[in-house]
Amino acid sequence: MDKLKGANKLGLYVVSGFILFLLGNRVDELRVYQGASIAVFVVAISSIILLTGYSGQVSLGHGALMAIGAYSAVISRNSFHTPVILTFVIAVLIAAIGGALLGAAAARLSGPYLAGTTLALAIGLPSLANQFSILGGEQGIFFDVGFPPPSLGEGFTQYKWFFWIAALAALISMWLVANILRSRFGRNWRAGRSNETAAALSGINVSRSKILAFTISAGVAGLAGALLSMTIGIVSPSAFPLTLSFSLLTGAVLSGVSTLSGVMIGAVTLVAIPEIADAVATRIGVSERLTTNLPGLMVSTLLILTVLFVPNGPVEQHRTRQARKAAREKH
Amino acid sequence: MKAMNRRKLFTVCATIAVASLAVTAIPAQAAEVGVSSSEIKLGMTLPMTGTASPGYNKIPGAVKAYFDYVNANGGINGRKLTLVVKDDQYVPTLAVAKTNELILKDKVMALLAPLGTANNKAVASVVNPGARGIPTLFVNTGFSGFADKKKYPTTFSLLPSYIMEAKIMAEYIKDNFAGKKLGLLYQDDDFGDDALAGFKQAGLNFDVKVAYASGSQGDKVSPAQWVTKLQAGGAEVVILFGVSSATAAALGTASVMKFAPQWILGSVGGDATTIKASGVPAGVLYNAVGASFAPATTDTADEYVKLFQEIYLKANPTETFDNNVMVGMNTAFLTAQALKAAGTNPTRKSLIAAIEKSGKNFASAALVPLNYSTTSHVGYNGYWFGKYSPTGDLKPAGGVYTVYTTDSGNGAVVKSTYKRPAMPAKGLPN
Repeated sequence: MDKLKGANKLGLYVVSGFILFLLGNRVDELRVYQGASIAVFVVAISSIILLTGYSGQVSLGHGALMAIGAYSAVISRNSFHTPVILTFVIAVLIAAIGGALLGAAAARLSGPYLAGTTLALAIGLPSLANQFSILGGEQGIFFDVGFPPPSLGEGFTQYKWFFWIAALAALISMWLVANILRSRFGRNWRAGRSNETAAALSGINVSRSKILAFTISAGVAGLAGALLSMTIGIVSPSAFPLTLSFSLLTGAVLSGVSTLSGVMIGAVTLVAIPEIADAVATRIGVSERLTTNLPGLMVSTLLILTVLFVPNGPVEQHRTRQARKAAREKH
Repeated sequence: MKAMNRRKLFTVCATIAVASLAVTAIPAQAAEVGVSSSEIKLGMTLPMTGTASPGYNKIPGAVKAYFDYVNANGGINGRKLTLVVKDDQYVPTLAVAKTNELILKDKVMALLAPLGTANNKAVASVVNPGARGIPTLFVNTGFSGFADKKKYPTTFSLLPSYIMEAKIMAEYIKDNFAGKKLGLLYQDDDFGDDALAGFKQAGLNFDVKVAYASGSQGDKVSPAQWVTKLQAGGAEVVILFGVSSATAAALGTASVMKFAPQWILGSVGGDATTIKASGVPAGVLYNAVGASFAPATTDTADEYVKLFQEIYLKANPTETFDNNVMVGMNTAFLTAQALKAAGTNPTRKSLIAAIEKSGKNFASAALVPLNYSTTSHVGYNGYWFGKYSPTGDLKPAGGVYTVYTTDSGNGAVVKSTYKRPAMPAKGLPN
């Protein structure tokens, strides 16, 4: 029965993939490019949801884990000419190793201490690139996944190629993450999150399960980092600023931090906000300084509003309301 | 219950898919991207905020002031010129994202004067306007590589290259400061490397070299470290080859630390307005040597300076007319001529062809010739030297512009005999 359910879900992902494929052929280049960005955010936010929402560990440093993935991908691609698919696999593996190390430290920390440690990582790690010339310094290294295969036709643009790669990676990683969350590991994480002592009493090795969560989350973040640097074409410290880590967390909260299915909400919002800010700024003609800071202001406002009014995210909120309604109808 | 939810989800997905397919009708293709019957749209990326922005953030205002002047006089063949400006904060990844926006969202016809060596390199390699036939006019960097037509087929240089500048500067130092201990402060990226290549070519050796990371001028500690190193090395003549904000930081800190060598400022950084904006008195510039290819901004006897100043101050009455504005307006002036030369219905192709064909003969405020041809995308190729007045204005020695020209290769540095043609009537393209 359980197996059948999994297969059903797989069908859903295949159908979504087909819809994305159709959409990608119909919309203009800008939307395709934005679609690729949304896919990147979907992957990145799902890594936070897995870690924070399910295993209950806070990370302010996922930007740094993304950077690890991105640098691993670009170095393997540029130095060893690895095929595109393999570069993403390498990004996942190396970021996961980084995550395992971080997780080992994290298992001993909780709450504000863990937040502080990961925050330090987000600030410090990307600027390491300035110290080693192989990492390209502030200017960064170009990351070229190559042109789309000629068999796809003349009109097949680079942006569409990015979109295909990113969307496919997002679908695969979402499917994997969703399944992991429904597996024994996911249940262990949730048990540990709710009550560590109770979980330990029922035979769960809590710290090992926490480290595992960090490892998997880091692997997914590494994939997101590699995808991000693919869409912007460069890996450099400036691609992974502290604000990236914060906006991912915001995206996760908007999505509903414990509901993977809400991840699109966060991703779409993060991509749409700069657009909206730009439109607002153009309409009212504000100063350059405000234009630059407006997206950040809007994200923060939205974060505060979400926490105030829909603390569990819109999807969870909707579910609760439905459940309550169903319960009332029953009576 | 669960099954019903899934069905609902499918329905929603399908509805969204169908709706978006129905809504997105493929737009009718215009004659050329960014060109309509009433408008020609151009896009620019540069730092409008952030550490590197002071001084440069006046360029869009300067370009728009001239474009508005053209538009008020009938535009280019009846089309008005508009400029879309995006802030890249001097960060290559942002420059890439913003250039993508300019091309995909704003649908500009061409990129105009995008600023910064590292940024332009990133854009060229990632966005690749060259392969897509999108003209990149008059890049605002002196990196010699951008004149390489094979590598950057749609890019046109404007500023003399940093190699040229370094070669000419080396000549000036040999003539005026032979035997003195030399110091160099330069930006540790392609911008600085280009200058190093020029100095090496000219056989100029430094007693002390200090490299700074782009952006480090904004922190509190770095500038003092630069000055300490230069001081410790005993430098008597110091070349500052950095952006305006770094030059301001170096000069300001040196003045506080009572380090007063003979400064020689690269054309990129020696700008009084920026130095004042950084909270450093313009007086620190006094007696420093500087280089420029445009006439001095105080030289109101010059017909271009007079007209540009008039147009700019009318549009921006509270601003100062300085060298960034001068160069920005001159760039806009060249752009208007290029678009005019591209024919009654300009296309990206005809625009590039027009600059290659007749760009050499475009009127220009500079005291140095343009070098465009079907085989060369090199813009200006020379400089004159002068000293800064107590108010921070660069003035030619003895009131006479002595212009030197050279190339980015092995060519010698020669005194130029170029005579600037007269300005076209009202400063509008013929």
